[in-house]
Amino acid sequence: MTTEPPSPGISISKTAEPSTLDVSVGPQHPGSGHCRILIRVDGDYIVSADPDIGYVHRGCEKIAEYRNYVSNIPHLERPNIADAIHLNWGYVLPIEELQGVVVPPRGKYISTIAAEMNRIMSHLYGLAIMQGVFSGHTTIFMWAFGDRDLFIELAEMLTGARLTYSFLVPGGPRRDLPFGFEDRLSRLLDYFEKRLVEYDRIFFSNPSVIARAKGIGVLKREDAKKLGVVGPVLRASGVKYDVRKVEPYGAYADLEFDIPTFEEGDSYSRYLIRFEEMKQSVRIIRQALEKIPKGPIARKAPLVAPEGEATGRVESSRGEITYLVMGDNSDKPSRVKIMNGSFRNLIALPFLVRNVHVADMPIIYGSLDYWPVEADR
Amino acid sequence: MSQVSLSREEAIIGQLKARFPEAIEETKIDRARRVTIHFEKDHVQEIAMFMRDELGFDHVKGVAGVDLPTQKKIEVLYFAGSYSNAEVQDFIVILKAKLPRDNPIIASVVSVWESAHFHERETFEMFGVKFEGHPDLRKLLTLDNWEGPPPMLKDIKFPEMGQR
Amino acid sequence: MSTAVLGAMYEGIKHIFKHTFTMKYPYQKVLLPKGFRGRHLLYMDKCTGCGICAWICPERCISMVPVTDNKEYPQNPEKRFPQYWYARCCFCHFCTEYCPTGALDYTPDYELAEYDRELLLWSPERLSRPPTNIGEYQSVFHGKDGNQGVTFEPVIKQKSK
Ligand code: SF4
Ligand code: SF4
Repeated sequence: MTTEPPSPGISISKTAEPSTLDVSVGPQHPGSGHCRILIRVDGDYIVSADPDIGYVHRGCEKIAEYRNYVSNIPHLERPNIADAIHLNWGYVLPIEELQGVVVPPRGKYISTIAAEMNRIMSHLYGLAIMQGVFSGHTTIFMWAFGDRDLFIELAEMLTGARLTYSFLVPGGPRRDLPFGFEDRLSRLLDYFEKRLVEYDRIFFSNPSVIARAKGIGVLKREDAKKLGVVGPVLRASGVKYDVRKVEPYGAYADLEFDIPTFEEGDSYSRYLIRFEEMKQSVRIIRQALEKIPKGPIARKAPLVAPEGEATGRVESSRGEITYLVMGDNSDKPSRVKIMNGSFRNLIALPFLVRNVHVADMPIIYGSLDYWPVEADR
Repeated sequence: MSQVSLSREEAIIGQLKARFPEAIEETKIDRARRVTIHFEKDHVQEIAMFMRDELGFDHVKGVAGVDLPTQKKIEVLYFAGSYSNAEVQDFIVILKAKLPRDNPIIASVVSVWESAHFHERETFEMFGVKFEGHPDLRKLLTLDNWEGPPPMLKDIKFPEMGQR
Repeated sequence: MSTAVLGAMYEGIKHIFKHTFTMKYPYQKVLLPKGFRGRHLLYMDKCTGCGICAWICPERCISMVPVTDNKEYPQNPEKRFPQYWYARCCFCHFCTEYCPTGALDYTPDYELAEYDRELLLWSPERLSRPPTNIGEYQSVFHGKDGNQGVTFEPVIKQKSK
């Protein structure tokens, strides 16, 4: 392996060395999702990579200027259907701030439970597709997808939809916990905790997985800070940063949980961090079910927002999502800006795939848990 | 929320004002942990450098454009955040610069904040803001054959989206 | 190292003796919870034709159309009712929630595919038909905390156990 790191810069230079070859990975899903990564290979090594995204760009920010505040919710959560509650919540928080609406405590707890269930579902999806399939491990794909369905069943019971929840509107969640929901959820959590042990044995402690992922795509702490990556990718590099702790929203201020971090910053620790986060999510849901207060779930919020701007953020499964919402005394926002985890983590991809084998690229790409639609918006 | 002391926010503003007395035009504390700073566009790199090296704001969460057709301006917003400085980890400092709408040019901050790379590319294609000194200012999201004005400007209307 | 390999293999082999998870969909249908957001049900005797549902609809798939039947609707003298264009609907059900008179309701119908695009246009009369799709399968955990696997079983059978 060459020891000298390639020259900085994340774009493919105009002049190619005679020994290199440009290869287009994607956009038809050979392990890239709906984005194309233009890589330049020298033998079996990737010299540079240029992510070409935008294949699923749908202009969410522009459409948001045409719809009223409530009507914006369904299409603003569509960019990441695996993580719909967080995308929805991040958009609702600044509107509530503009309108001065305070969600009642019970509403906050219900949102928190829904969000943490969504985090588990999203991480299971990531475990199944991004980590299982991309490293050639079909068993974990089947298991994680199957168990995700049990959570989906409960999310359906709570919100009425399997993935496209549109559950939070300005003022609070749309529904209260249905009858029998707590029982079924705690029974599912018991089951899921047992399953996590099995996941550990068959996937995370499996030497064949460790051999493929350990030491691949190391993102050092300083680089992670410099590139401004977020979420699990950041925490796997040893930076303890989580919006749930630094700016608690929902009911997170009352609940006890840890922020797992790893020092290595390689693909394997990015796998593990999501595994640890699922355990924390189970812990959060258990506490929330225990502590949930009685009372109203939502307040009536106006359909108009006053003039001004507000920034709200939540910790989604793929990292911090920051929304800027500008109101202008009408029922439509004048500007919505979405800054989400996938788009911010994209910069790590060309940085990490330099000087690795072509076969390691799916591992690195999968460990970033990059969601092309979320990045393209 | 009860009355919270905003001394940390004021400290940041104070430091910036002391260092750049003429570049900072207006400052505002939106609420706890949110600071908005309007600055003169020529000083963007110095301010970014100062923010990074002295205040510990080591990354941007995003770069946004806002079209203001009534004022004939395009506003560029930098959302600066910090990982290294535990004191201000929970802050979002929004730096705002106003550019003329017919010729929006501002210096790129990629040399200071590498995390702005893709965000600046996006703002370039959506609002037509030229970031001088950006290493690779190409289109990012729209179609390769998209001809025409930057799509996020307010005077570009998409009638099929319907205006009610 | 070798113990970890054996552990992974043991975990995989153990699964051969567990119940199978799969539900055979077109023959077995899942029991949908109350309030599942499927297609809409319109109570024509409640709707006042105010058009709020059409205003809130994010996809603008609702249009208010006059109905030509010979019934009388005292609350809706103009006989204007919502008509749904299901090719666009995203099933957010904001229309149901924002309806001031409760004239819209949830149904568990989700099998709305048609051979003809025109048939996706649901007239008010068609919307007021009662739902047909009733599934009965629900997940069941076997063994302590589901360590014998999970299956989908008919609800009636579960109750009689
Ligand atoms: S269904 Fe409800 S909201 Fe729609 S027109 Fe009738 S009464 Fe109004
Ligand atoms: S469910 Fe949503 S998209 Fe469908 S008609 Fe109702 S408001 Fe419109």
